Amino acid sequence: MGEVMTAQGRSLPAEDTADLREIGFRSLDFSELALRVEDELGDELNFDAPGLRRIATVGDVLDFIEQLQSA
Amino acid sequence: MTGRRRTTALIGDDNTVVVAGKRLTWRTLHKLPQLPSPAAVLVDNGADALAALRHHAVHGTELLVATESRVDERMREELGESGFAIVLPDGAVTLPRLKRVEESGRAWLLTSGSTGRPKRIGHTLESLTTVTADQPPRTWLLPYSPGTYAWWQVVTLSLTQADQGLVVIEPHELDEWPKIAAEHGVTAASGTPTFWRQAIYRDADALAGVPLEQITLGGEPVDQAILDQLREIFPAARISWIYASSEVGASIVVHDGKAGFPRSWLDRDPHPERPVLSVEGDELVIRSPHHGAGLIGPIHTGDRIEYDGDRVLITGRLDTDEINVGGSKVSAGVVRNVLMGHPGVSWARVFARKAPLVGRMVAAEVVPNRSLGPITDADLVQWCSTRLPDYGVPRRIKFLDQIPQKETLKSDV
Repeated sequence: MGEVMTAQGRSLPAEDTADLREIGFRSLDFSELALRVEDELGDELNFDAPGLRRIATVGDVLDFIEQLQSA
Repeated sequence: MTGRRRTTALIGDDNTVVVAGKRLTWRTLHKLPQLPSPAAVLVDNGADALAALRHHAVHGTELLVATESRVDERMREELGESGFAIVLPDGAVTLPRLKRVEESGRAWLLTSGSTGRPKRIGHTLESLTTVTADQPPRTWLLPYSPGTYAWWQVVTLSLTQADQGLVVIEPHELDEWPKIAAEHGVTAASGTPTFWRQAIYRDADALAGVPLEQITLGGEPVDQAILDQLREIFPAARISWIYASSEVGASIVVHDGKAGFPRSWLDRDPHPERPVLSVEGDELVIRSPHHGAGLIGPIHTGDRIEYDGDRVLITGRLDTDEINVGGSKVSAGVVRNVLMGHPGVSWARVFARKAPLVGRMVAAEVVPNRSLGPITDADLVQWCSTRLPDYGVPRRIKFLDQIPQKETLKSDV
């Protein structure tokens, strides 16, 4: 997540409770992060669309990515 | 089957033809054994393809010529069922399943098959000979795969015009074609943008050693970056790009060194010798005097266009060029042009990747220009960010070691 933010010239806040809208982490950034994870795993991920709606904070993103990796 | 007709004047019969290092002429090329008609002649070298073409031109037989690798078993069966004898590189002949009367003077081409299985398009030597005005003496490079439209364009020019020599490049010679071309004094060459990029990437100095006066690009979308690179290497050459296909023939020819064609060329008044170009939605539509048999009227090309000021850019295939990123649409061709405009990029392919939230994201593969030092994906993202909307910036970029090139000289960008 930090790499995605850095590539956009921004930095990742330390707090997991940071609001994604406030830090400017947008849909494109989230999508890029998902593709990075895919590339890392070398496998196509199956994204659960209803679950995505609950992602509002940095912690939500990290939890979601962790779930994807363990799925 | 032989000695009956002569379909067009073989003015170039004494033009030089260089094959496998030997200097011959069309007239002194080896003769193939008596060819049946209709025949599908499958070749494994350029010399046999030229010999088959000359046989067709002299005797007016019905001919399809293609490389052996392009015609799989299923297609061979289909050809047999359509009345074609199959002639293999070793001369073995499989007789047709259907016996029918030949179509005198008919030449068949296979489409590239980029939208499915290759289709057969009927032409004649006359409909394939689109260059009819007198040409300055030239020696042409022939790197194209036998039987493709671009191959027919070059060979008919050589066979029907005076002083238009040919230097045939076989697939195994592609890596070193500039050396061969320089050795035989090639002054004109036609190739895809990928072909030219390969040549610059491999050895720009060797390329600069070829005394080129005419450079032609076609077969793929032609971007400004490759035109500019060629102009830098060959400041005095005429650089042209051509839009041509088996279906519509050579329909757009641009000599001004710019990508795309002038918007004023759209919807011009009909003229017997000039194709009518138009746009429906985003699709290029052409009504061409050089069309294949039975393709009279407007042909929907399946190629996508974008307007750029007073130019019309052909950006790619309709079904793959437009990438929808969360409802915002971007042309893969336009993104590719931006990437290839970066001095550190020798080649790029842009495509859609499935992604959460936005549906699709723009991704790219890139071959860096080794002579300019390393570049990173961050460099390219930065470059694109200042030239494209955020949804058009490729966020995932993979670096490749070499430029991919298929038998057709294309890389399917």
